[in-house]
Amino acid sequence: MSINFTESDERRALRAAVADLGSRYGHEYFVSKARAGEKTDELWAEAGKLGYLGVAVPEEYGGGGGGIGDLAAVCEELARAGSPMLLMVVSPAICATVIARFGTDAQKQRWLPGFAEGTTKMAFAITEPDAGSNSHRLATRVRRDGDEWVLSGGKYYISGVDEVQAVLVVAFSETGPALMIVPTDVAGLTYRPIEMDIVSPEKQFTMFFDDVRLPSDALVGSEDAGLAQLFAGLNPERIMAASFATGMARRALDKAAEYARTRSVWGAPIGSHQGLAHPLAQCAIQVELARVMTQKAAALYDAGQDKAAGESANMAKYAAGEAVATAVDLAIQVHGGNGLATEYGLGSLLSASRISRIAPVSREMILNYVAQHTLNLPRSY
Amino acid sequence: MNIVVLVKQVPDTWSERKLTDADHTLDRESADAVLDEINERAVEEALLLKEAHGGEVTVIAMGPGRATDAIRKALSMGADKAVHVSDDALHGSDVIATAKVLAKAIGTVEGFDLVIAGNEATDGRAGAIPAILAEILGLPQVTQLRKVTVEGTTVKGERETEEGVAHLEASLPAIVSVTEKINEPRYPSFKGIMAAKKKPVTTLTVADLGVDAGEVGLGGAWSGVIEASPKPPRSAGQRIDDEGVGGSKIAEYLVGQKLI
Ligand SMILES: Cc1cc2nc3c(=O)[nH]c(=O)nc-3n(C[C@H](O)[C@H](O)[C@H](O)COP(=O)(O)OP(=O)(O)OC[C@H]3O[C@@H](n4cnc5c(N)ncnc54)[C@H](O)[C@@H]3O)c2cc1C
Ligand SMILES: Cc1cc2nc3c(=O)[nH]c(=O)nc-3n(C[C@H](O)[C@H](O)[C@H](O)COP(=O)(O)OP(=O)(O)OC[C@H]3O[C@@H](n4cnc5c(N)ncnc54)[C@H](O)[C@@H]3O)c2cc1C
Repeated sequence: MSINFTESDERRALRAAVADLGSRYGHEYFVSKARAGEKTDELWAEAGKLGYLGVAVPEEYGGGGGGIGDLAAVCEELARAGSPMLLMVVSPAICATVIARFGTDAQKQRWLPGFAEGTTKMAFAITEPDAGSNSHRLATRVRRDGDEWVLSGGKYYISGVDEVQAVLVVAFSETGPALMIVPTDVAGLTYRPIEMDIVSPEKQFTMFFDDVRLPSDALVGSEDAGLAQLFAGLNPERIMAASFATGMARRALDKAAEYARTRSVWGAPIGSHQGLAHPLAQCAIQVELARVMTQKAAALYDAGQDKAAGESANMAKYAAGEAVATAVDLAIQVHGGNGLATEYGLGSLLSASRISRIAPVSREMILNYVAQHTLNLPRSY
Repeated sequence: MNIVVLVKQVPDTWSERKLTDADHTLDRESADAVLDEINERAVEEALLLKEAHGGEVTVIAMGPGRATDAIRKALSMGADKAVHVSDDALHGSDVIATAKVLAKAIGTVEGFDLVIAGNEATDGRAGAIPAILAEILGLPQVTQLRKVTVEGTTVKGERETEEGVAHLEASLPAIVSVTEKINEPRYPSFKGIMAAKKKPVTTLTVADLGVDAGEVGLGGAWSGVIEASPKPPRSAGQRIDDEGVGGSKIAEYLVGQKLI
């Protein structure tokens, strides 16, 4: 991989176009949908039609033929414009990637054109009540029964189950982890929303699989390649989660700087006080470092270097999660009382800005990963 | 239909716009440069006409090297090809020189039926290019339109003014200019963005167009800026305390300013 610190003309044009679209909707749109219990369907549909959600789907299936770097740019710009969309992390990034890389021809024909246009949405379910950070302890099982599969167990904190056609479920088969496509209307599947204090149109759900019967082609790819397939999907997930975070962080930082330049309570703008200026400057550095690492991870992934991309994607996700938590915290502080007023649109980001420290993998688990894999330290758990 | 759209790259209206100290021309380096929004609408209208009648859309831009960004934006929206007139000699050109150069550039597009321009650029704001072009090219002009249709060899348009709506028509080839009411421009799709790179852009100099370099640029301009100073800060507004008659006082003020 050659090092290039400027994005291509096309990538920059994509960012500008997505930013234009996103700012026409604005954070008010996102918040009003969330508070009304509705979805951001209009924005999703329009972004889909313009090919922004399908940038990374292969051209032969109607997609843009770009890479995860392009998709990450879309996610980041939408978040920056005030519409951070969790389902972008899941549907086009994890699910479309796994199916494009490992699906059978029939699965690709069935699902990829919809991902290309954004008309298909798919959730991803790995987390379980007794196996959060520890995915080796998954209790959800899938077994063959004649021509069919039978799925039993349960998941929690699964985003978007109420607005997708299917869920890509990680379950253990006799040979290890397997990825199953589970339609949301299949018999034996029930799901319930978890009450969350996040201002977001996208909800999280508990799912129960009560001997759900699935056709034999519900299995993605092959039964024994489950682990490799899983990891192929998790790198894009981390890159997208990092972009979701840096987009939100840039939004908060822009607002903080704008306010600090114009608000004046002692005759000079509050931004002239170093007590505010320095933390803002530190945060700007943190955000930019996270962005560079995210772009590195995307470039490695798009160059086919899965292993190197794994380390970078984890580091990027960690850095972005810390950056967004700091940026939103700081933006609220800079705004004083206005920071918590609905009008300024910062309080509504507060709990969302903490998602990135927890999901899809917590910062502690990333530190464990770096300690073990980068530093070769002994494992404590 | 063979359509030509005239597109200009301008400093972003949101950024601070300045004149250079050296020659009082627009400081293009100090601000972000964008495809003028009115020209996005002009491109959109051309694309809609192309979708309805078939044909080809050519965009023409006169501007420095970085105007390629504005051109690429128009191509990513769906225009087919572009002509970029770029020449250091053009720096400081006035509205007449610009029209002369654009007229020659339009002449390089074989068999055009319709030229679409914006009614006024957000930076120079002369609002005269479409009319001057019509004069130079000897074509009918239908300007300031909020609606454009083409039927056979006739272009029809609606012009909205304070007096009412005028229905205008002219036979093709013709020049039209559009206002911001004309349409909502599309966003470039990802495929459009990727395709733009491969679309042909012909770059021409003043000499290529057979224009005398002495007629254009700062030297050839018919008017010159001798001095420029920034707009004085806004003075404090007039304050009306509401003691029961605030509403009528505001109305009085607005009437005095001929606003109502
Ligand atoms: C908004 C949101 C959306 C989500 N969407 C999805 C989704 O779509 N699909 C899905 O599958 N999951 C989803 N999740 C779940 C998410 O991936 C998990 O919450 C996350 O992986 C952490 O798991 P847990 O909540 O069970 O925490 P736990 O594993 O219980 O961990 C609790 C705490 O202990 C720490 N900890 C655990 N083990 C160690 C260790 N060995 N060393 C040090 N610290 C440790 C963790 O870092 C954490 O701080 C979502 C979560 C949220 C909040
Ligand atoms: C829930 C809530 C309840 C409230 N209730 C009341 C109430 O009952 N009565 C009331 O009067 N107010 C109330 N407030 C307003 C609160 O007191 C103000 O928000 C607070 O004093 C900050 O002032 P400000 O909002 O004008 O921010 P600003 O004065 O604009 O300051 C913004 C930021 O600049 C920093 N800053 C300002 N000056 C300096 C400086 N010289 N050096 C370094 N940093 C500086 C501040 O610390 C802050 O981080 C309430 C606010 C909230 C959120």
